[in-house]
Amino acid sequence: GLHSASTTASLKTETEVDTSENEVVAPDFTNRNPRNLEQLALARKERGWKTTWPKREFWHRLRLERTQHYVEAFVERCNGDVVVSASTREWAIKRHLYSPKGVTACKNLGRVMAQRCLEAGINFVNFKAVIPWEYRCDSIQEFEKAMEEGGVVLREPRRIYK
Amino acid sequence: MAVALLNGALRGARGGRAFGTAAALCKRAAPLGPMPNEDIDVSNLEKLEKYRVFTRYWRLAEKESRKRHWWRTYWQHTNPPPEPKTDISLPRAKLLGAKEIKERKKILRENRQNAEMERAARLRTVLIPLDEVRAEWEKTSGPFHKQRVAEHCGIFRDLFKGATFTPWVALRVEYSQENEDLVPVYYGNMVTPSEASSPPAVSYEADKGSLWTLLLTNLDGHLRDTDSEYLHWLVTNIPGSDIKSGKEICHYLPPFPAMGTGYHRFVFLLFKQDCPIDFSEDVRPTPCHSLKMRTFSTFDFYRKHEDAMTPAGLAFFQCQWDSSVTWVFHQLLNMREPVFEFVRPPVYHPPQVKFPRQQPLRYLDRYRDTEEPTYGIY
Repeated sequence: GLHSASTTASLKTETEVDTSENEVVAPDFTNRNPRNLEQLALARKERGWKTTWPKREFWHRLRLERTQHYVEAFVERCNGDVVVSASTREWAIKRHLYSPKGVTACKNLGRVMAQRCLEAGINFVNFKAVIPWEYRCDSIQEFEKAMEEGGVVLREPRRIYK
Repeated sequence: MAVALLNGALRGARGGRAFGTAAALCKRAAPLGPMPNEDIDVSNLEKLEKYRVFTRYWRLAEKESRKRHWWRTYWQHTNPPPEPKTDISLPRAKLLGAKEIKERKKILRENRQNAEMERAARLRTVLIPLDEVRAEWEKTSGPFHKQRVAEHCGIFRDLFKGATFTPWVALRVEYSQENEDLVPVYYGNMVTPSEASSPPAVSYEADKGSLWTLLLTNLDGHLRDTDSEYLHWLVTNIPGSDIKSGKEICHYLPPFPAMGTGYHRFVFLLFKQDCPIDFSEDVRPTPCHSLKMRTFSTFDFYRKHEDAMTPAGLAFFQCQWDSSVTWVFHQLLNMREPVFEFVRPPVYHPPQVKFPRQQPLRYLDRYRDTEEPTYGIY
């Protein structure tokens, strides 16, 4: 919740009949926006799950799924709901690619995904849910580089505790 | 007599060991569903198929964790089953016919036979044209993705109390700045109030002779009542995509999210009208700077006119306090600027116990009425 702290003086002295009631403001303000707290870095991250992998200490997580036939990228919340997704199964991306799997597919998927994330207002994503020995491979490195160049930061800011 | 014998046995009389009967209280019965891994035959481990890679096991485990189980789970506890939602969107355009699918397969086959594309893919030099991809995406899976993001920002829950719609019409909203820059509004962008101080350029595909309504609301900014919104702009009976020739019911007011309140959602809604609608009840006076007149509820507004219009387009942005907001409060709204501060919810402590186990001395500080903690770090 928010509490009214102070108000600044106004410059006009004349009061119009129209705006005379504007001054009445409730002392408590509730912001219904579910994305407000996480954008202000004040929301809680799920800090349990330390004995399992992957951990759920994030607001948004970037997950790359590479199968034998296509590559998919999802940005999801810790309860599993997908917010933004991009896949080489979509016609818009598939028609420009020679093969929907492989390093070039991952790279271009990264570029498309970065554009969609920025449009949706997701600037910070957690990219820890990658298997360590697979992280070194070319396709995931190209995907990560494409996301960084697209403007998405792959590190979530620390929550503000005080 | 039997009771005396039982009590004696419980106490351990006559040299026998004392035992508790709590185990007898819970009845042991068969499980209410199949146990996990029941289908794997572990009697003959040699014959079992062993995956030689970790990834295949992990993918199975992820798929298994996403399945619904018959026992109570944490996911069930945090995600209650959603109520069925009414769909208020325009009727869907025709799905892909056999001819279109054939054309797509032909394009893919040509791609695969193209030697240049194969060489570029092998040498990793391919860079697909992002603008064309975006244009195609807006026609095919764009509406569903926008609906999903809007669902996560709680727009349908706050605007229409749960009823959802798929924005089939691609709405393009751009704020133009003094230095010839264009700040576009997509689904969930960050736009500052100084960038949004003048009415934006709105464009969308429209048939000749069709009528539209454009609406800009602030879902979170109401200073008195949490459940109502502020109307910033309302233009009705727009012929085609020409906003200037529509009837401006409420003139444009720049966004004014108060300081300390965080990010507010501002939603552009485009409604398609079947016939010219009379909005005389909603007409606001031309310089409308009274917050009471601007208080608005999209749910009631849509309920009043739902027979003649359907939501067709959606675009929204997030907005935070900025110095131009002070100017709006002082000059346009003629009021003192409210400033808020974030108040954290109080820290939870479980009810106090007379003999706390393994708690430090500061346990007593947590339940003291006065403010001075006397035990410090102990």
